[in-house]
Amino acid sequence: MKKMQISMGKKKIIEAYIFMLPFIIGIVAFFAFPLFVSIKLSFGKVIDMSGFKIKWIGFDNYIRAFVTDVQFIPMFLRIVRESLLKLPLILVFSLMLAMFISNDIKFKAFFRIAFFLPFLLGTGYVMQQIIGQGINEQVLMQAKNIFIPEKILAYLGPNVDEAVNSFFGVIVTVLWSCGVQILLFLSSLQGISKSLYESAKVDGATQWEMFWKITLPMISPVMLLNIIYTLLDSFTDISNPILSYIQDYAFTRTDFAYAAAIGWIYFIFIMILILVIFMIMKNHLYSFDMKGETKNGKSR
Amino acid sequence: MVKVVNMIYGNLKNGFLSSSLRIKHNRLESISRVFNHIPHKLYRIALYILLFSIAFVFLYPFLYVFITSLKTYRDINDFTVNWIPRSIKYQNYIFAIRILGYFKYITNSVLLTVIGTLGHLISCSFIGYGFARYKFPGKNILFFIVILSIIVPIQTLIVPLYMAFSNYGWVNTYLPILVPTFFGFGLRGGLFIFIFRQFYTGFPKELEDAAKIDGCGFLRTYWSIVLPVARSVFWVVIVLSMVWHWNDFYEPSIYINKMALTVLPARLQTLVNYVNNPQGDIFFGMLLEEGEDTINNAVLMAGTFLIIFPILMAFGFIQKKFMQGIERTGLVE
Repeated sequence: MKKMQISMGKKKIIEAYIFMLPFIIGIVAFFAFPLFVSIKLSFGKVIDMSGFKIKWIGFDNYIRAFVTDVQFIPMFLRIVRESLLKLPLILVFSLMLAMFISNDIKFKAFFRIAFFLPFLLGTGYVMQQIIGQGINEQVLMQAKNIFIPEKILAYLGPNVDEAVNSFFGVIVTVLWSCGVQILLFLSSLQGISKSLYESAKVDGATQWEMFWKITLPMISPVMLLNIIYTLLDSFTDISNPILSYIQDYAFTRTDFAYAAAIGWIYFIFIMILILVIFMIMKNHLYSFDMKGETKNGKSR
Repeated sequence: MVKVVNMIYGNLKNGFLSSSLRIKHNRLESISRVFNHIPHKLYRIALYILLFSIAFVFLYPFLYVFITSLKTYRDINDFTVNWIPRSIKYQNYIFAIRILGYFKYITNSVLLTVIGTLGHLISCSFIGYGFARYKFPGKNILFFIVILSIIVPIQTLIVPLYMAFSNYGWVNTYLPILVPTFFGFGLRGGLFIFIFRQFYTGFPKELEDAAKIDGCGFLRTYWSIVLPVARSVFWVVIVLSMVWHWNDFYEPSIYINKMALTVLPARLQTLVNYVNNPQGDIFFGMLLEEGEDTINNAVLMAGTFLIIFPILMAFGFIQKKFMQGIERTGLVE
């Protein structure tokens, strides 16, 4: 009997590795080796192009990026500022829109498709063309007048007008990049059981309290996923100058080592950002064990 | 006001009051109903106005591109013409098709998109299932690598990858883009493994157990029991992978420098160059308007529309299934 069980366990493990096999091959062929070489490159210098020999030179490339390269730091700071500005905006807007369309409203199907459509444009050349046409600014001209009448702006003076304009200009591009985030939030909002809200209502909770005490804790794992996804999206954005900078160094100036170092600096920045966010959220992440209630609930 | 009405109404229901008041009760109730619903109605109307204006912001690029692509040279420079062109000029599309080499290069894009998406479906559903259903030594390390492969940007690895692929002799083919998708990598492959794992984790085990008891081998169980039920997630992954492959410009621009293998989004750059500095030979056999001696914005927008059109059509066909897949709880915990 016992022998049987052991062989069953072994069989299971073999099955598991069969499922893992393509991934392990993938790691060896397309991930582990490039990762290793790329780290080695960033700490070294290519001395022989044909045989691709790398000499270890320590932190020189990194020092060069932060000290001697005059272009890199301002560019990097601009990217940092942009991502830190856009991240909360994208999260707030996508959660807001997801909550609007998760309720019972008319034309639900239409709104869902409409909010997802800009995602189909991608972040590449096509989007660049559309932004280049100044479409985002045209939209804001039309949309602004719905929310804030022109006369009020004229009355408030040019400074306010300027501020409102720049705010709306950012908003449009932010909204366009919300598609996937809205859908992820929507999917998790659907998963919250109605009985939670009902019992809170019985206890006399307001809508506002319900949002902070029920909705937000319940969707916190998806919030984390969305944060990671949003940061990843900035990697593929064609308007991201770091990308063209890396490409320029790697493929036109053939300074592979320096290109790799810049790539790692950028990655480490994103990594730190994710870790900080994870640390902040760790105490608030709602875990789905059945041992009791959430942190907010009383244990009986 | 409402409180008073409710009090009276309560009294009525409990039959404390005489029947003379009962006549008034209907009127009172209707008053209370009106009072309760006015703010609610207003809120609803405001919400719809807000939602429709946001939807307009989302739809505007598509409307703009399509309408501008049909404008004549005169309409583009006329500020009084905004939404409805005075006359429709379909020749813009003929120009755009000619300059883009649309029908020549669309096959490249379609090939790359279809095979890449297929690779993701086959490999990521398989790997994701392994992560969801089995415990084995090294599972945590492997899953950490999945997460790592999601967050390490391709730009960080592109140099060594390029070296490796040029050693294999894969430069100037689609292999560097397509082969990794069959092994759970490629364009955001890790994300798809993650999505599949999430789905299978929330998926009841009974079906598979029953199949095993009936003597199904584990691969056969996966193939004929698990896959058919996972169809809803397949549609989600198909849409995401398809859109990313179609719009991807970074990897093709690095691995491919042969004209014949160029994909459509990269051709858009050629069209832009033409608009800025037109070559004479494309006008051959075309009738030009008066005052028009150059390719203009309308042609550029026609080209842009031509490039997003196939993906729009594809999404139109599968959007219903895609939305159902998103609706399924268990896709994200």
